[in-house]
Parts: sequence; structure tokens; C-alpha cells
Amino acid sequence: MATMMTTTTHGPALTLLLQEEVGGRVLSGIQHPDLSKFLVIGALLFTIGVAGVLVRRNIIVIFMSIELILNAANLNFIAFARHLQDTGNLNAVAGQVFTVFIIVVAAAEAAIGLGIVIALYRNRETIFVDKIDLLKW
Amino acid sequence: MVLSGWEAVFFWVFGLAALVAGLLTIMARNAVHSALFLISALVSVAALFVLLGAEFIAGVQILVYVGGVMVLFLFVIMLVNVSAEEREEERLFNRTPQVAAAVVFCALLGFGLISVISRAAGQFAPQGEVGLSLEERAAAQRRARAAREAALPPAETGVSKISRDTQSVGASLFRYAGLPFEIASVLLLVAIVGSVLLARTAKQELAADDLDPELLPELARAEPELLTKAEELARQGRGPAAAEEV
Repeated sequence: MATMMTTTTHGPALTLLLQEEVGGRVLSGIQHPDLSKFLVIGALLFTIGVAGVLVRRNIIVIFMSIELILNAANLNFIAFARHLQDTGNLNAVAGQVFTVFIIVVAAAEAAIGLGIVIALYRNRETIFVDKIDLLKW
Repeated sequence: MVLSGWEAVFFWVFGLAALVAGLLTIMARNAVHSALFLISALVSVAALFVLLGAEFIAGVQILVYVGGVMVLFLFVIMLVNVSAEEREEERLFNRTPQVAAAVVFCALLGFGLISVISRAAGQFAPQGEVGLSLEERAAAQRRARAAREAALPPAETGVSKISRDTQSVGASLFRYAGLPFEIASVLLLVAIVGSVLLARTAKQELAADDLDPELLPELARAEPELLTKAEELARQGRGPAAAEEV
């Protein structure tokens, strides 16, 4: 009813209408999260992971950030798989199958990477990436 | 896909928990705390998987990541010395200009990703639901899902229905992704062998007769009696198996 009345006046009332509409959209977006909200969570997780890789010095925490990045990709895959299932194709599980492979690769990467960390620590006595500079000149 | 009711509540709880735990993972001073925060982030993402109807993947996530990979991380944290960082003798982050550049880059990255997603958000609605509001789409999808669930066969106990989600994941995995599956198993084998090779000590490398010749003088300085014994055994022609007994 309030929106009906504001349409009849000019100026400030119009901005009020716009605000109400935007507010209503935000509220319904919060009450009914859809695919794009999952994608936003995935994008933010990815960004946090990239920040961790760029900012930290401890190589183990950098590895953990990479795991975070891979998980953000997994979240996107699963969200799109569900989206395809809801748009008609009930057997659209390709995203879930791909996620299984990402988890396999992440496990292999963690095993190899942590093996490298142990070998590095044995030889150089450090796990800080800015002290591991043999290839730098 | 539009969630509503309790599903929406759980979405916000676990989504925000994943983000906060992810942030704490890269901010924590103690590496063990980092690992524990990463575990909570992974569990929250697994909860989001359940919300999206991927129960099998959620289980795999918990078993493989939390049960396997994170335990590996904790083992390595305990093997290497990270206490310098904890005692605040070592800087936690890179130098300030690098951190500033990285934060600006990540802010731009996040802003770009979110603006692209929000611009495309309206186009995610399927054909039949274009122009409907989120409430109407949620109601339509609730009805469609209820109809789908009614068609499922009941379980033996009679209180629930048997879903086919995991079954269809397995069928799809082995029907369409058989070759990648085999390649993944070879990859895991390579990872096992590789990590065992990488993590060997010089002593173990000597036992396998696989030591870098350049390292020999160093090892002779560190543990002379070990090397002479190994050489003696090699002279007797008993080979690496005997050297392992040393």
C-alpha cells in the first residue's frame, strides 16, 4: 500500500519507492538464497585463498590456502550441478563427478607438497618462502 | 534452485561460517590453529554440499579432507619447527608493500567476481520461471521436489524414502568417466611413491643405495661409523639389503 501512494508524488517519494523496492529485493534474496548466493560464497572463499597464498610466509599455510581455493571450485561445481538438476535434467551429476576428481587431485597434491616441505626443511631448516631463494639471483 | 525456510537459515549459517573460518585460517599465528580453522571451513562447505543435495560428495569431503589430508597437515606441522612464528620472532606476513599489493589485488578480484555474478544472477532462472519473483520460484520448486520425492520408493522402515542421488553419481562416474577414474588411481600411486621418495632421510637413501654422491662427504662427517659399515658390507658384495640392517 505504501508503494502505491509514493508513486503518485514526485522527487523524494520516488527515491523512497526505489529504496523500498531494493530493500524488498534484498530481503527476499536473504530469505530465498538462490544459485548466485552460492557462487558469491565460492568467489569469496577463492579470494580468501588467493590472499592467503600471496600474503603468508609459512609454506604450510600457503598449502592450506590452496586447499581453500580448490574447495571454492568444488562449491561452484556442486551448485551448478544442483542448478542443472532443477532445470529439468534429473541425472545431471557431472559436476559431482568432477568434484570427486578434484578431491583426488587435492589429496595427491597435499601428499607430494608436504613431502617436499619435509625434504626442504631437512635441507634448509626453514619453512618461510622468502628464505627459500636458491633459484633467485 | 531457490532455497527457503530452514534451508535458507542453514545456508547463511554455514556460508558465513565457511568464510569466517577461511579468513581465520590465513590470519592465525599458530599453524595448528590454521589447520583447525581450515577443518571447520571444510566442514561448513560439506554442510553446503548437503544443502545442495550432494550427500555423497559431502561424505567424501569429510572423510578425505578432514580425515586424511588435514591429519597429514597436522603431522607435518608437528615434524617441522613452526614455533619461531608463534613466539613472534618471525614475521607472520610478507613485507608491508607486498601485503598491500596482494590485498588490493584480492579486493579487485573479489569485487570483479561478485559484480559479474550479480550481473548474471537474473539469467540463472530456468526457462519456465523467467520473470517470477524468488518467492514464486521457491514455491514452484518446493512443489516439484515434493512430487519427485513422492515418486521415490519407500525404505523398509516406512518412515523415509530411498533417494537415488548417490546411485546416479556412481553410475555417471563409471559410465562416462571410466578412463579419468583409472588415471586418477595411477595419479594416487605416483603420489604415494613420490612422497615416500621425497621424505626419505639421507640414511634411508644410503640404505637403498640411492644416495647423491655429493652428499657422501657430508654424511661421512655427520655419521662416520654408519658410512664405513655400509662400505664394508658393499665390499663383501652383500648389497643394499645388507646395508639396510645398519
